Order: sequence, then C-alpha cells, then structure tokens
Amino acid sequence: MLAILPQLLYTGVGIGAVYAIASLGFVLLIRAADVVNFAQGQFSMLGAYIMLVLLVGVGVPYWAAFLLAVVLMAGFGVLFAGAVYWPLRHRSQLTVIISTIGASILLPNAVLAIYGPSPATVPGLFASQGFRLGSVFVDSQYLSIIVIAILMVVLQYVVFEKTLLGKKLQATSQDKEMAAMLGISVAGMVLFTFAYSAALGALAGVLVAPVLFVSVGMGATLALKAFAANIIGGYGSIPGAILGGLIIGLAETLGAAYISTPYKDAFGFVILLIVLLARPRGLFGELIAEKA
Amino acid sequence: MTGINRRAMLLGTAAALAAPAIIARAAETIRIGVVSPETGAAAESGQYMRNGINLALDAINEKGGVLGRKLEIVVADDQTTNPGAVLAFSRLASDHSIVAFIGSIRSTQVQAMAPGVLKTAKPMMIGGTDPKLTHQGNRWLFRCRPNDTYSAKTIAAYGVQTLGRKKIAMIASTDAFGTGGREALTSELKALGITPALTLGYANQQADFTPEVLQIRSANPDLITSYFTYETDLGVFAKQLRQLGVRTTWLGSPSIVDTAALELAGPALYGTYGVADYAVNASPTSKAYAAAYEKRFGKVPDNQSSWAYDATNVLAIALANAKSTAPEAIRTAILGIQGYKGAEGTYDFDQNGDGLHGYSVVQNQNGKINFIKYVEFPKPS
Repeated sequence: MLAILPQLLYTGVGIGAVYAIASLGFVLLIRAADVVNFAQGQFSMLGAYIMLVLLVGVGVPYWAAFLLAVVLMAGFGVLFAGAVYWPLRHRSQLTVIISTIGASILLPNAVLAIYGPSPATVPGLFASQGFRLGSVFVDSQYLSIIVIAILMVVLQYVVFEKTLLGKKLQATSQDKEMAAMLGISVAGMVLFTFAYSAALGALAGVLVAPVLFVSVGMGATLALKAFAANIIGGYGSIPGAILGGLIIGLAETLGAAYISTPYKDAFGFVILLIVLLARPRGLFGELIAEKA
Repeated sequence: MTGINRRAMLLGTAAALAAPAIIARAAETIRIGVVSPETGAAAESGQYMRNGINLALDAINEKGGVLGRKLEIVVADDQTTNPGAVLAFSRLASDHSIVAFIGSIRSTQVQAMAPGVLKTAKPMMIGGTDPKLTHQGNRWLFRCRPNDTYSAKTIAAYGVQTLGRKKIAMIASTDAFGTGGREALTSELKALGITPALTLGYANQQADFTPEVLQIRSANPDLITSYFTYETDLGVFAKQLRQLGVRTTWLGSPSIVDTAALELAGPALYGTYGVADYAVNASPTSKAYAAAYEKRFGKVPDNQSSWAYDATNVLAIALANAKSTAPEAIRTAILGIQGYKGAEGTYDFDQNGDGLHGYSVVQNQNGKINFIKYVEFPKPS
C-alpha cells in the first residue's frame, strides 16, 4: 500500500490547493468586512458557468473565457456586496450571515432556472491529460491548480504586505473608524475586497471545472471544505487558509486510501475537531488575538 | 366611486358566471400527481422524467384520454432531498382531486415518501430500484423498473458465467440505492461461490476518486462492478480510473449508460458494460419509444424518461381497465396488467407491485450503447 503513497500525496495536494484558493476568498472577506460569506462556493459555481457559456455558447477562445470569467466575477462581487452586504452593514454579523446564506440558495437555483440542470464538461488548461513521472500520474489540471495556487499566495502576500493598497485594506479590516479618520475610503476597500474575493472564488471554480465538471451543486461541495480549511488554519488567517486547505485535501485522500472510503469527508472534519479542541484559534491564531 | 363599484360588480358577476365552468373543466380531467426533482443534485433527471410523462400523456390525450376524460399532471419539486420529497408528496396528497402519483426514480426518496403513500392509500408508480421498497408491506407502491435483485442477478450472471470473471471489485454509493445494490450483488455473487476481492463505499458528490481507484488498482481484479447514484461521481471516477492506468473490464449498474454520464465521461467509458433496464434496441417497443423521444426532444432517451413514460401508460391502462378512479380499483387493475409491452420491457406485475423482472446487458462501443442480450428471470409467485 506504500507504493501508492506518492500518487495520493500528489492528488491530495492538488485537491487541497483547490480548497485553499476557495478558502482565500473566504478569509479576505472575514478580514476586510467581518463577513462570513456562505455564498463563497457559489462564486466558484458561477465562475465555472460563465466560462462554460463563453466557451461553448459564445465561442470565445479558451484563455479569454478563463480570464473573462474571473474578471466578470470580480464585477459580480461588487453587485453582490451592494445587494447582500451593503444594506445590512450596520446590523449584527448574524444578519449578514443569513443574508449570504440566502444568496447561497438563490444563486444555484437561478443558474438552474437559466441554464438547466445538465452538468457539463469544460476542457482543462492543457490539451494533454497529464504525464507519468515514475509511479505517479501527474494530472495536468491538478498541476496547473497547484502552480496557480502558489502564484496566488505570493500575489496575496505582495499585495497585502508590500503595497499601499494592501496597507489600506489591512487598516480597514483592523479598525474601520480609525481607517476612515485617516482618509481611507472604507466603502471602497470593502467593495474591492468583495470583487477580489469573488474573483478568487471564480478562479477556484474555473480551475476545478475540468476535474469536477460544471454542475449546479459544485459550489456546495467546495464551500464546506473551504470553510473548514479556514477554521483549521485560523479564522481569518491567510497562511492558515492555505495550510488548512492542504491539510483537508491530504487528510481526505490519505484517510480514504488507508482507513475508509465511505468516511472520506469525515477525515477533514475530524482534524477540524482536533484543532478546535487543541488550538481553538486555529493553527495560525485569530485576528482578535493580534489586536488584543 | 360608482365607476369602481360597477366595475367590481361586473368582475364579481363574471367570476360567478365563470366559476361553474372552471369546476366543470376540472372535473373533466383525471389528475396525476408527479413528484420529481426539479431542483437539486438530480434536477437533470427531473427534466427527463417529465419528458417521458408528457410524451405518454399527449399520446393518450390525443386519442381522447381515459374514461372519456383527459389526463393532467400536477408537478411538485422534491428538491432531490428526502425532506423535499416528503414535503412535495404531502402537498400533492392534500389535493383530493389527484387519483394516483408518479414518484421518484431515487430509492432513498421513495423510502422517505413511503409512509405518506401508505397513509394516503392511493397508488404511486415508482422508479427506485432498492428491492425493499416493494417488499415492506406497502401495497400502494408499483415499480416500473426491474428492482436491484435483478440488476445484481444480471451483473453476477453475466460477469461470472458469461465473461468468466472470478476476482471481482465492487464500488457502490453509501446511500439507500447503492447499499441495496451492494447487498444484493454480494449475495448473488455468494450464490455463485464468489466473495468480492474488494468492496468500496463512497459518499455521494465526491471531488476526487484517486484513493478508490488506487485501491482497485492494488487489488488487481479482473472485473469492476459498480452502483453509482450520480453521473458526476461516475464521470470523475471513470476519468481517474483510466488516467491511473486501470483497463480492467467494468460492468456497472444502469447509471453507467445514462445519457449524462456518457456526455461527461466520454471516452473513459468506452468498452464498459452495463446492465440497463432501458436499452434502445431491446425490443420493437423500446425502439419506437426512442424514435418518438428523439423526434420531440432531440436527444436519445435513457431510463430516466422511459420508466416515467411506462408509468404513465400503465396508469392509463389500469384506469381504463378499472373503469373507475377509486384507489382500490386502480390497484387491482395495475396488478392485473400482464404481458404489457412497455419501453422498459414486458410488464407482468407480481403481487409485490414489481412490474419487470429482468435486465438488458449492453456495451458502450465508442460512445454508442449496443444491446447485447436481455436476461429475464421468473416472476416470484
């Protein structure tokens, strides 16, 4: 059974990277607007459908469809903020959460009504399905996902830590009133975060679509794992989201292979429970702790 | 003010005049309640199901309907969930003008509705293939697909006796359908003296099947058997199976020849065998059904629509034979249907309410489903 370990590790990291990208979008909204967005997975679903429609329906070239889906979803993120978050921004966090839950029901059903229920396929980034490296089949799509996930983490780090925009975003997330007094446009920062977070969700969606197919239910499959990744890594922590995603991907894959396939989904959540018991703030702590 | 009053009065008069007409029209149609997945994970099959029903319904109504009345369906969405199914059914059950129901193709949802159907005491045609559904004392469930005792019997007979395979791996969903199939197949294989080399369960809606595929590869079986519930799961599994270099013969439950699965998995399913309750070339009736369906909907039909088509026709025949819409009369008439040639096969209802007792074996040859043979089993007495 050890012979299959390299393959399991590869796939585990691949699927973990998908959770990680989806989880990044979650984390950003928590940091910037203190919003737990239950519709985050639906951003992935919408992104995948936009790409599908552009590619198959309109006939746009592959890369253009890929990028357009991400860009259009950034725009959708602003609309989403305006409809789901903005009117309720002065209410309690719970009100906003319920509003996002509402959106997470509305969006897949809207797609269902418009597009119909048939799941569909989109091709991967590369024509080749992959190649063999020793005993490991390197799936080209998982490879793309891993590489793009690394790029996104670097980009995120640079934007947040090295640019003025990033500093403004951080200031807004830490103390909105203080940020406003310093002349930062809080509304602008929050809207930007929604746009960026929706784009990240869409990115996860268009990347995973060739593996998972484009279906109305795909958002829900991703969202729960992305959310768990976020809790494992530390509520609102960016490196935590990445690490949490990878941990869940690996736990599922290894647990299913060596312990039990029916309980595959449970392994990620067992780790979630252990982390909550041992380190209630997650592996990378919680923002509140930094502020205190 | 007077103008408004006069208009209101006119409207009221019009409504009063129209009301008896509406009531009379309603009395003309025979209403059938349909519980189908319009939203949720299986929304796709809901669309196919309605296609099948409408195809049968329009043909029946064109010929003047049944008992001199047109048939009409009332659809309620089960959301592809068990609570959704229960809710949808109770909504239909409270409508007393409905004389019979067409329920779900999904065993777990039929199971959820079963107590309600028993209480309502009106016939429900079902497509779920968990054998238990018609064997737990519920006299109002009538199945228009062969149950999984027969799919398991057919998989075991064809895999072991015809193909001569001995080392068998099995992968099945952990839901009611998959578990029922796994249990039935295990016992049929046991009857042939074979214990599966590997049995794997998976929870529905997986993003990745690498661990399952690698376990199958390590076990090195000479036949893979499967009970997949959702096409997306089947598609992901099929693709990864081929990518990880497994070329073993695969003989699956009907979902393997499902239209959606063929579209999603493409070449990954070439060469696989499936047992199918509906196969285009199984009989002249199934061929005629395929032609009519393709003409109207532009797609080759699969079992998601054919069972519902048959269910509608069986109900219409039963209503005509019963010469009444009384539940008990319809029930007796359904059980009396023998030798009716439907799209799925020849209906010989047994006392449990099972209409069909055999499966076709088919093979996917470069995306085309070719009929190999029909395996019929004796009807239980």
